[in-house]
Amino acid sequence: MDGQQKENPFGGRIIMHVDMNAFFASVEQQRDPNLRGKPVAVVGSSKRTIVTTCSYEARAFGVKTGMALWEAKRCCPDLILVVGRNREYTHISSLIMQLMHDFTPLVETFSVDEAFLDISGSLTLFGTPENIAHQLKARIRERFGLTCSIGIAPNKLLAKLASDMQKPDGLTFIPLDQVAPVMDRTPIRDMCGIGKKTEKALTMLGIRTCGDLGRFPVKLLRQKFGIVGEALHRMGLGMDDSPVVPTDESDQVKSVGHSMTLEHDLEKREEILRYLLQLAEMVGRRMRRYGVTGKTVCLSVRYADFYTNFSRQLTLPRYTNLSADIYHGAVTLLDSVQLAQPVRLLGVKLSNLRHQDEQLSLFEGERKKAHLAKAMDEVNSRFGEFSVTFGTLLADDAKKGSFVISPAWRPEGIRKVDVE
Amino acid sequence: MEFSISKETFTKALQKIQGIVEKRNTMPILSNALLEASNGMLHVTATDLEVGMKSSYPVTVSKEGKITVSAKKIYEIIKELSDEEITFSTKENDWIEIHCGKAHFNIVGLSPEEFPYFPKVNDSIFVSISNNFLSEMIEKTAYAICNDETKFNLNGIFIKASSEGDKNVIRMVATDGHRLSVAEKDFEGTISSELSKGVIFPKKGIYELKKIAEEENGDIMLGFMDNSAVIKKDNTVIVMRLIDGEFPDYTKVIPANNDKKITISREALLHSLRRMAILSSEKFKGIKLDVQSGNIEISSSNPELGDAREEQEVVYDGTPISVRFNARYLIDVLTVLRDDQVELDLRDELSPIVMKPTAKEDFMSVIMPMRL
Repeated sequence: MDGQQKENPFGGRIIMHVDMNAFFASVEQQRDPNLRGKPVAVVGSSKRTIVTTCSYEARAFGVKTGMALWEAKRCCPDLILVVGRNREYTHISSLIMQLMHDFTPLVETFSVDEAFLDISGSLTLFGTPENIAHQLKARIRERFGLTCSIGIAPNKLLAKLASDMQKPDGLTFIPLDQVAPVMDRTPIRDMCGIGKKTEKALTMLGIRTCGDLGRFPVKLLRQKFGIVGEALHRMGLGMDDSPVVPTDESDQVKSVGHSMTLEHDLEKREEILRYLLQLAEMVGRRMRRYGVTGKTVCLSVRYADFYTNFSRQLTLPRYTNLSADIYHGAVTLLDSVQLAQPVRLLGVKLSNLRHQDEQLSLFEGERKKAHLAKAMDEVNSRFGEFSVTFGTLLADDAKKGSFVISPAWRPEGIRKVDVE
Repeated sequence: MEFSISKETFTKALQKIQGIVEKRNTMPILSNALLEASNGMLHVTATDLEVGMKSSYPVTVSKEGKITVSAKKIYEIIKELSDEEITFSTKENDWIEIHCGKAHFNIVGLSPEEFPYFPKVNDSIFVSISNNFLSEMIEKTAYAICNDETKFNLNGIFIKASSEGDKNVIRMVATDGHRLSVAEKDFEGTISSELSKGVIFPKKGIYELKKIAEEENGDIMLGFMDNSAVIKKDNTVIVMRLIDGEFPDYTKVIPANNDKKITISREALLHSLRRMAILSSEKFKGIKLDVQSGNIEISSSNPELGDAREEQEVVYDGTPISVRFNARYLIDVLTVLRDDQVELDLRDELSPIVMKPTAKEDFMSVIMPMRL
């Protein structure tokens, strides 16, 4: 087997990439039949939100993810705006990921609506790769009424490419002998990992398709791109040996953070502090839940002009996961800079993580702090986040918590952020 | 200024202050040593504004004067010179000339005018304490000093004296919030108001004090002035600024109702803990003690490495109890004790334990467990 794998540059693997079609919008269309067949855009709950996903009907009008609402409305005046229910989406996503585990234990959540499955070992049980794909699609449709596009290929790179080829509700299989012709047809920009900049640089070299890239002298690529050149060369050949890493085994989480775009730009220190406390509590809460502590606090700020942002970090004297410590770190950082503009976005992150020390404190004061955090956490676990919280956070009625599903969201473990 | 000095004396004098000079480059003058030649003596001074040290040595002074120079560089130079008489002189613009055998050095110095003031010490303020006594008490407590700089009141050793019955007792206490060590000794002499109130010696000063206490036999003079402690031994004076903070009421932390008393051989427990601690890591640092009548099982389990356990005989006849500790905390204490037998007093798995030499009252360590 090993020898065979060495000869075969693609290994003996069969990888599947599942991409949910217009995931959030489809969930909404399932919930409300009136939305079906109509241009729907899912947007955030804040006043100045953007389109997070839109239905295929809306896409036909040119509506795209990331558009401001006025922009989307200009493309499609009949566009129906639906405020996203992130909690529902993460919940359904977790259920779909669970469903995938019926076919293989090797499921890697790539984002809330994408996953890789290594089905190399599942064929004896379920027959052909296509058969698995059909079964999975049928189950997802049956249970959730949702469609997905599936790509099957010898590795993750090609599987992702394949799932993109046919949307919605597609199934594309790139068998080994088709890799070269497919590469020749595929423009480099379609390859996951080649952005606008790289595309431009490659076009300058006369490279337009992945086939061109694979044939281009690797030496020249190395000269121009450094070690990335090597990776680009392999990409051009459609080669990728990165394994499908099941979510629970993926490498250790390096930081825990939350950020939020504010309802309106803030200038007053005390108002900013209120959000920092809220973010610190969210970070601390998640760290305590998963038993980790951290030492480096990072504060990130984006200004009202949307383009300028900065982040500062500082190392705390000791490892902590207490919200108060994280907050004090963030405030120290805030006070170390002169804000140039009103603030649009705030983020607090704790890194330099380690497993929580379960060492108890000798002094009652310290023990009380730990007990207090634990008691608050228990109440909030039972009655919902921020049921018990700091007095300063009660000053406004604004909703608290996470409203955005981060790309790092995972169905389990510390990356599982509960969103509102 | 000009003086001549033997290599041996100069090396010793410079070596002594290496621990004092400021390592961070906040004020360049603080990484320098002040050299003063007067009355047939060379005075070498270094300070980081927290802890200062001044030592004096008889030398042949041909011209009195003073200069400052990088403490580290001059030490490196003197160390490497040949075993001959060294001539040290200053020239214009704070330049320094060193001659020894065939070697010549011209070194840049800094004006002595910028060097911080070193207080003049009045000899009447001192009480005398035996050096062995001090070094032993420091050894038994210093490892528990807190390194977290935000808990500045714990960054040192708390020293307090009181008269109890017909004798005077001096106590040293250090804690990092997880463990606490208290050493005490009877002492003779008067108790100064500072000592009766209790003072916190900074960690750096404590280590310097320990160094000179261990150097040669002889009493150490201890006194206080202007929120500083002054320590004098032979030709050396150390002045350290006391930590301006309140040491927590440590007596509240010492448990009174730990009725599960275990007696065990110190050596056996120490070696056993060291073996078991090999399997602990940053992530899994706890070791578990399971005590039952007549024996103790010490075990350690690390999902990433494996597990280990070992049994030891103990004197104990109470109900079984299990408790988990950071092995380091127990090892630190067992390492500084010299006694054959130690006593562990426990209550339950979430309460602090007391560890002390059996049948002795001059030392005790209180250690908080980890969650089981």
